[in-house]
Amino acid sequence: MNHVIETQGLARRFGNTDAVDRLTLAVPEGSIFAFLGPNGAGKTTTIKMLLNIVEPTSGTATVLGVDSRRIGPREFAKIGYVSENQKLPEWMTVGQLIEYCRPMYPDWDAAFCAKLREQFDLPLERKLHQLSRGMKVKAALLVSLAYRPKLLILDEPFTGLDPLVRDEFIRGVLELSDEGNWTVFISSHDIDEVERLADWVGIINSGTLKLAESAAELQARFRKIECVVAETTRLPAMLPKTWLIPEMAGHTVRLVDSGYREEASEAEVRQVVPDATQITASAMSLRDIFLALARTYRLGNTTEVK
Amino acid sequence: MVNRTRMLPFQLAFKTGVPAYEQVVYAVKKAVICGALKPGDRFPSVRAMSQELRINPNTAHKVVAALVNERLLEVRPGIGTVVADARPATREQRRELLGEDVEQVVVEAKNLQLDMQDVIEAVQQHWDRLSKEEKP
Repeated sequence: MNHVIETQGLARRFGNTDAVDRLTLAVPEGSIFAFLGPNGAGKTTTIKMLLNIVEPTSGTATVLGVDSRRIGPREFAKIGYVSENQKLPEWMTVGQLIEYCRPMYPDWDAAFCAKLREQFDLPLERKLHQLSRGMKVKAALLVSLAYRPKLLILDEPFTGLDPLVRDEFIRGVLELSDEGNWTVFISSHDIDEVERLADWVGIINSGTLKLAESAAELQARFRKIECVVAETTRLPAMLPKTWLIPEMAGHTVRLVDSGYREEASEAEVRQVVPDATQITASAMSLRDIFLALARTYRLGNTTEVK
Repeated sequence: MVNRTRMLPFQLAFKTGVPAYEQVVYAVKKAVICGALKPGDRFPSVRAMSQELRINPNTAHKVVAALVNERLLEVRPGIGTVVADARPATREQRRELLGEDVEQVVVEAKNLQLDMQDVIEAVQQHWDRLSKEEKP
């Protein structure tokens, strides 16, 4: 499998803080990779290192086969980038922005650009500073899609957007889905928007990558387990390592198993909780998996979730 | 005003836990059997399906490939993908589509410590009620 982005021990220190700590990550070509983590987890710093905006303290990153420290106009002509805090030349009109960007990209597709502009309802004559936040983000996306980039990097693109604009934004991104081998790397603190869209998921917390795997594998190994116990005694102190956030309410025990295997997991429950009955294992949405992991990290478990 | 959304010719409300791929394939099969999709009807493109359902384009692509492979859809050069001419679904095939819903009822019945007779009676009751409503 080809990787569009590859990092090895990528790290960045700001003063005494490890914004990103030895991040090793591979983004397969053709995937929609959701890079998730709470605010301040190191997502933006990672992206800025990938795009040669911030220099790594140590480690390496390769983007489209080129060392990130050497990325220049040739690579940027194949990368689209939209970020939450993007600076646009506000004095320009939408039309001027398009004409300004166009010469920088050999693969600029004017017809596609016109189609997207119409879809996005962006008036050519309007100055950017007169546009709402949603319109500005759409303008930024427009000039990042018009050259049909090989790699689209989106940093928290949905922040402050109303649901309608979020929908338009995603539709716009998916206009590229006819392209072969086209990759999206999208950072977000909110999985709702990318559920079912992302086929790869990476989770970062406090600068450290907690997991990176295909959404299918992730959903296969996570289950919400519930069972009913006869006695409302406390759960044993030593629980299997794959059990996250075990809870008990009345006679019901609930936990998230991060290493679910069909029969083995049920046997494990019976072994740990001998009086368990009505054991059920239900599949979880990516959102619920993400929330379970986020709760686990906050509970002070800093080890990697295996 | 530009028409941004294209209605899909089949119904689908996603459930948690079942892979999106399986759910879309199931929804299309059901639409064909129920007659919402008829032979010769245009089938949406990968891009349109991906946009309307918000699914990964690779998933949408896999759905189309699987349905073409099962001969429910066919690719007509210059036109796109259309619903294939197919023999009406057999009773067996229609029954298969019910499998998932039946499984859920059985699981729930077992949790409630009911036996098969209870389930059959409950089904009978609902069947009669709905049959009465259909006949004015």
